[in-house]
Amino acid sequence: MNSDLKALYRDTLLKHSRDPRNRGEIEDPDHSACLKNPLCGDQITLYIATRGDRIESARFEAQCCSICMASASMLTFRVEGMTLGESDAFAATLAEAFNQANTPLPLLENDELHALEGVKSFPSRIRCATLPWEALREAISNKQ
Amino acid sequence: MSEPHSPPQVPESLKKARDAFPILKRTVNGKPIVYLDNAASTQKPQPVIDAISHYYSHENANIHRGVHLLSTEATAAYEAARGKLARYLNANDESEIVFTRGATESINLVAHSFLEPILQPGDEILISCLEHHANIVPWQLLCERTGAQLKVAPIFDNGDLDVDAYLSLMGPRTKLAGLVHVSNAIGTVNPIEVIIEAAKAKDIPILIDAAQSVQHMTVNLQALDCDFLVFSGHKMFMPTGIGALYGKRSRLDQMRPYQGGGDMIAHVTFDKTTFKKPPSRFEAGTPHIAGGIGLAAAIDYIEAIGRDVIHEYESQLITYAADRLKAAPGVRLIGEPTNRSGAVSFVMESAHAHDIGTILDTEGIAIRSGHHCCEPLMGRFGISATARASIALYNTPEDIDALVAGLAKVNQLFG
Ligand SMILES: Cc1ncc(COP(=O)(O)O)c(C=O)c1O
Repeated sequence: MNSDLKALYRDTLLKHSRDPRNRGEIEDPDHSACLKNPLCGDQITLYIATRGDRIESARFEAQCCSICMASASMLTFRVEGMTLGESDAFAATLAEAFNQANTPLPLLENDELHALEGVKSFPSRIRCATLPWEALREAISNKQ
Repeated sequence: MSEPHSPPQVPESLKKARDAFPILKRTVNGKPIVYLDNAASTQKPQPVIDAISHYYSHENANIHRGVHLLSTEATAAYEAARGKLARYLNANDESEIVFTRGATESINLVAHSFLEPILQPGDEILISCLEHHANIVPWQLLCERTGAQLKVAPIFDNGDLDVDAYLSLMGPRTKLAGLVHVSNAIGTVNPIEVIIEAAKAKDIPILIDAAQSVQHMTVNLQALDCDFLVFSGHKMFMPTGIGALYGKRSRLDQMRPYQGGGDMIAHVTFDKTTFKKPPSRFEAGTPHIAGGIGLAAAIDYIEAIGRDVIHEYESQLITYAADRLKAAPGVRLIGEPTNRSGAVSFVMESAHAHDIGTILDTEGIAIRSGHHCCEPLMGRFGISATARASIALYNTPEDIDALVAGLAKVNQLFG
């Protein structure tokens, strides 16, 4: 198989897309946002419950491709316990790094999100990876 | 009886078709290209590329102005293209052909110049669930401006238009009926003859979106006798940025200008301007001259092969594609219309349309994945996207076989 393709569809990514975590709604979320990629019709709704300034849990509903699904699944796990400000800043740097061919993703070595690194070789798919993170930022700015 | 899924024979006059398209010689990701995204845009044959190059090398000048030789030659070539297109579509007269940027602009032109001035609050515009956004959004915008209502005729689960429902929605307040001839998203061929006949009986002007039909079948305007018909050249081997609106001369005569500017006026003073007759009235400014010249060359190219030959072969090829895909493991067709042309849409159990598109791309196979500018139609099928393979005269049964083999790789990776 094409080596870029192998790098794109890493096992971690496939695992998350087949069996995403935290899929579903949060009733009465403190924050939520629904974003659509007009190019392809992918759609994701992100829900956040907070305690004080911290994200207690994040869940999502989506009709989307494997990359978007895996990215959203990892996101919900990754942002738990962060403050809204921290997660917003993290989402911003991450989205930025996806769009810079030569900037490695700002992640520690063992971060699962490394599984998304492969999209950089597929420019038409970068938005699939960043859409959940854009939804997160949008949700944070939408207080319910 | 032929075998199930037996591949069609490529007719003699199409055996060398691929060679005429230089881009089909390139490789994609190290593989020979299999181009199955023709509904989005077709490739261009050498005679079209040569005609454009010849125009810029030898004849380039502005048209309809200037007495010098280059301008005269360019004007003649551009106007000859209009005549050629009128004959290709069998219009009554070449003044019924308005050059535009394509299907989208043609529909917007009808909305602005024909319908808006006569539309009252509560009037209705009728379309179908199969429409491309280009035949939805201009009408929605117009409804917002005027208080008119958009009515949408449903389809059946197999992707066929519910013709009875369409006809019964043609009411006393219907001021325009719009219908796509062939669905770009799922390949349904609509029975436009029946619909046009009914519209005429009820005196309802009708617009046909022929963006996906003029390249695959003979469209005979005098036989059809619709009021308007639109298409885009780039889906028919022509350059981007050129297309046409056909309008019955009696309709065009009554229409107000679209854009204002040079070339569309009879006489200008600061107090009052009078406008030219159709089609010039609707063609403000310097047009896409090279586009018109490429358009004429593409028509010559198609006619040299023969539209009947193309239609016959493509019908077999798209049926072969639909049959093979239907039998492929994990594949579900979206839309199994009674009459299909050009395109077949599908989804897979194992993978989303984008993932299918990416994996096929690494195999050199270009398909389209997404909503195909038909979001309401996708919604009707309860999905957000499909993978779509769409053919042109240069595609072969081997291209379809490569697609099916590519889908096996998708199952391998995601299954
Ligand atoms: C059925 C149909 N109508 C309209 C259009 C719009 O064509 P264009 O974007 O060339 O104006 C398309 C293009 O995809 C189409 O397939």
